Amino acid sequence: MADPNENQEMQDMDQITSTWPHPPPFYKDFTADNLARLADLKRERAETSNPPSNSTPKPDSKDGDDLLSQRLTGLPPNLSNLQPPLPPDEGAWRIFGDPYRLVQPLPKLEEGGEIRPVVANGGLLADGERDDKHFDRATVLKRIAKSLLLNFLELVGVLGQNAMDAADKVKDIRDLFYNFHHLINEYRPHQARESLIATMQSQLDRLRAETTAIRDSKEKVERMLEGLGSLKIDQEEVAATVTGGTGAATASTTAGKGMGELEGEMWGMLVDPAN
Amino acid sequence: MGDRLTQLQDAVDELAQQFVACIHYIHRHHNLETLGPNDVIRELPKDAEQEERKLPTGFSGNANRQCVVDSHPADVFKAAQVELAQDLITKEQQIEYLISILPGLDNSERDQERNIKELEDELKSAEAQHQEAIQEKKDIMSNLDEVIRSIRRP
Repeated sequence: MADPNENQEMQDMDQITSTWPHPPPFYKDFTADNLARLADLKRERAETSNPPSNSTPKPDSKDGDDLLSQRLTGLPPNLSNLQPPLPPDEGAWRIFGDPYRLVQPLPKLEEGGEIRPVVANGGLLADGERDDKHFDRATVLKRIAKSLLLNFLELVGVLGQNAMDAADKVKDIRDLFYNFHHLINEYRPHQARESLIATMQSQLDRLRAETTAIRDSKEKVERMLEGLGSLKIDQEEVAATVTGGTGAATASTTAGKGMGELEGEMWGMLVDPAN
Repeated sequence: MGDRLTQLQDAVDELAQQFVACIHYIHRHHNLETLGPNDVIRELPKDAEQEERKLPTGFSGNANRQCVVDSHPADVFKAAQVELAQDLITKEQQIEYLISILPGLDNSERDQERNIKELEDELKSAEAQHQEAIQEKKDIMSNLDEVIRSIRRP
């Protein structure tokens, strides 16, 4: 990503006043035709390389191996930019002059200096896997919050007795705050997953509601059409009697009534499918 | 307003600020006591005190400023102390509440992953049904179009 953006920035030095850099020039290659051609090429390539198993490339698989196997080489220049670039080999890259890394581990509490951790080993099990069920984060957090208050009370007491002794207490409070923030930050990936679940659930609910709504309106139109079919037959019969000639006055009134109903239903249906 | 974790972090930071504010208040407004019969409370000239106040907080004249105590009457001081203490308790209770409503406390990482996979599958099938329904709707609409076109005035 870094290179095209930077190139673009250099090209457009005269337009430096715009808030964002211009999109890289290859955005014009993303046409429907080009995308379809790329999909075709991918399918062909997949079929030739390993015929039966992988004939339908799964678009959802995000494994590194799958991505690699689906990368095509030797594409025409207008298609080469349609494939996303590979993740950087060494896991680090620069964008807009700032370095970024693929993996950003949370710095350990002990690394930041002489902070004493409240929870031994950061709640990790021996095999390095977190066991959230046994490590009750909420309880620990609540305990720290209460300790903070208690420590503050002690601090005020110490300050009242002898202000020179307060340094230790201040250090305690500082450690507690650091621990609290660290525990919260450790929890962030968990919250991210939780938000993802909530978003997917709401998306699912919306999709299902939409589907049922469409089905409902479809059934409504179907019923209307059936009703219309029977109406039409009535009308044909009426028309037949009218052309028959006898009792023209009564027949025309019924025909008129039938037309009125028909029109009403038709208007109803013209409005309905739009919903 | 951010997510709950950010709210919790902000609340904890606010608690720390309240600690500082409490100590600052007591430090500035306590009453002055004589410890022995020979002690006298030194009267600071009023203008010097005001000069002191004009200085921004954290200005280098700390040593000087520590002498300046603006004593509040005993009842006001007491009431302010009570209020500060109550605020501290309130903030702590807010923090505890925020902790108790953190999302997904009962779910382990494995639960979450399984949940996400299930939802993914369900989303796919729902999407397929959705497309199917749209197709049916299109069919029925073209059907309707035909019917409407075929109607003639008798």
